[in-house]
Order: sequence, then structure tokens, then C-alpha cells
Amino acid sequence: MLNFFHNSYIFILIEKLVNFINSIFFVLLLVALSFALVFSPPDYLQGDSVRIMYVHVPAAWISLASFSCIAIFSILNFIFKIKNLKLITKSIAPIGLMFTCIAIVTGSIWGKPTWGTFWAWDARITSMVIMALFYLFFIVIYKFFDDDKANKISSILAVIGLINIPIIKYSVEWWSTLHQPASIKITGTSTIHSSMLTPLMLMFFVLILYCALIFLMKYKTEIIKIKKKNLKRYDQ
Amino acid sequence: MISNLITMNGYGIFVWSSFVITILVCWLVYYKTKKTLKKYEKEFAKEIEELSVQQKKSVLRNSKIASKILASYNKTI
Repeated sequence: MLNFFHNSYIFILIEKLVNFINSIFFVLLLVALSFALVFSPPDYLQGDSVRIMYVHVPAAWISLASFSCIAIFSILNFIFKIKNLKLITKSIAPIGLMFTCIAIVTGSIWGKPTWGTFWAWDARITSMVIMALFYLFFIVIYKFFDDDKANKISSILAVIGLINIPIIKYSVEWWSTLHQPASIKITGTSTIHSSMLTPLMLMFFVLILYCALIFLMKYKTEIIKIKKKNLKRYDQ
Repeated sequence: MISNLITMNGYGIFVWSSFVITILVCWLVYYKTKKTLKKYEKEFAKEIEELSVQQKKSVLRNSKIASKILASYNKTI
């Protein structure tokens, strides 16, 4: 069992996973894009602009999930001091930032035909911008401080940022906003038709695979960085 | 059919720009991540090559990762 957490075992596993994801990714992407852009029906009210949902919603889900993961792993790292958790959070943060930016930009583009404006400082959009800033600070900290100090500061930042997650989720219920309430609920009945839910889930699955691919490559890079540092001991 | 797919009943500019931006950003991040990984693999392999024969042997005996990276680096050159 302990062998599973060993870096060399993880490294070999990463190589196999990256190859597997690379082999199926483009076929799945083509299928998902065909469903999202061709086979799914237009909305009765929003028309074809609803197709923006197939990139906007998965991007927003991934950005929220990534930050939650970072915060949870940071708390676990505080308690158990597991080195790998630090590498995991460092590898997830850029992915989270990227998808937060995609969610904000595609949401803004979707806003023009539906709300009549690209931007409004409403609760959902503002709280998403705040999350993007949290991601940005989290990444920048590692550039300015040494690893141990950066680890402590970024962990505190992630825990503070965690407060923003329920604010983002419930902003559409707590305040009067332009953003529509959630159509898909984990508990309770979803108000989206299966003809739209299928492409949405397909796109979500493809983007999750993409995240896994980037995460694995970033994690592998972090392992090599550690090995490089260790190699310097042989030089001395 | 094709013109309908492009114009999307007047929403084409919004829909296509959203998809193009997403795919472009994803591709750029993938490219940069892969490039960084390759750069570190190359640097690491070079550093191993620069070690003395005994040090190199010791590193390769103790680290599966080092031997794997060195093997893949030697394949590419």
C-alpha cells in the first residue's frame, strides 16, 4: 500500500495514464463537439446561444471543484504534512485559474445576447472574479517565496478562499442577480431536458479528461524538479 | 445546413467565439505544459550525463525515475 504513494510508482502510473488519455481524447472531443454544436436542439427562449452553456457550465464546475480540492488538500497538508499534497495543489491551481477565466469570458460572451451586456457587476460574476484573484495569488506566491513559506501562505489563502465557494454557489439565491439559478441539481429534480443534458455531460467529461492530462503532466514536472534538486547532492 | 451551422440563427459569432476561445486556451496551456515537462526532462537527463560514472551508476540504481527519464532522453537524441 505504501508503495502506491512512492514517487517512482506514481511516475510510471502517470506515464501510462497520459498515454491512455492521449489515445482516446480527440475521438471523445469530436463526439462531444458534434453533440454540442450540431445534434443538441436550440433553446425555445435563447435559441442557439444556449450552446455556449456546453463550455461555460463545465468550465465553471471545474473551477469550483478545483478550488475546493486545493482548499481540502491544503487543510489535510496542514494536519498530516504530506509532501505530495503540496505538489497536487501546485499542479491543480493553474488548471483552476484557466477554467475560471474561461467561465468568466464565455459567460460574458453569453451575456450579450441574453442580458444585452457583456458585463455586469452582479453577485455571481463578481464572486467568480474574486475566485480568479485567489487562484492568481495562490500561483504567484510560489514565484516570490521559498517553497516552505509559500506552502504555508498559499494554504492559508486557500482556506480563506474556501469561504467564497458557497457564496458563488448561492449568490443567485441570496441576491437579485442577472444570472439564472442552477438548472442541474445534485439533490432534487434538474430542470434541463436530456437532449441538452447529454451533450453537457459529454463536454464535462472531455474537459475533465483534459484537466487530468494537464494535471498529470504538471505533477510529473514537479516530481522531476524534486529529483533535480536531489541530484545536486551527488554533485557536492 | 452548413450556413445554418455557421450563422446559428444570428448567434454564430457568440457561440463560435466561445468555443474557439476555449479550445485555443486549452491547446495553448497543453502546449506550454508539455514544453515545460520536456525542458525539465532534458535538463535532468543532461545533469545525470554530466555526473561521474560511479555517481551515475549510483543514481540510476537508486532512482527508477532517473533511469526512465534517461532512457527516454537517449531515445530522442
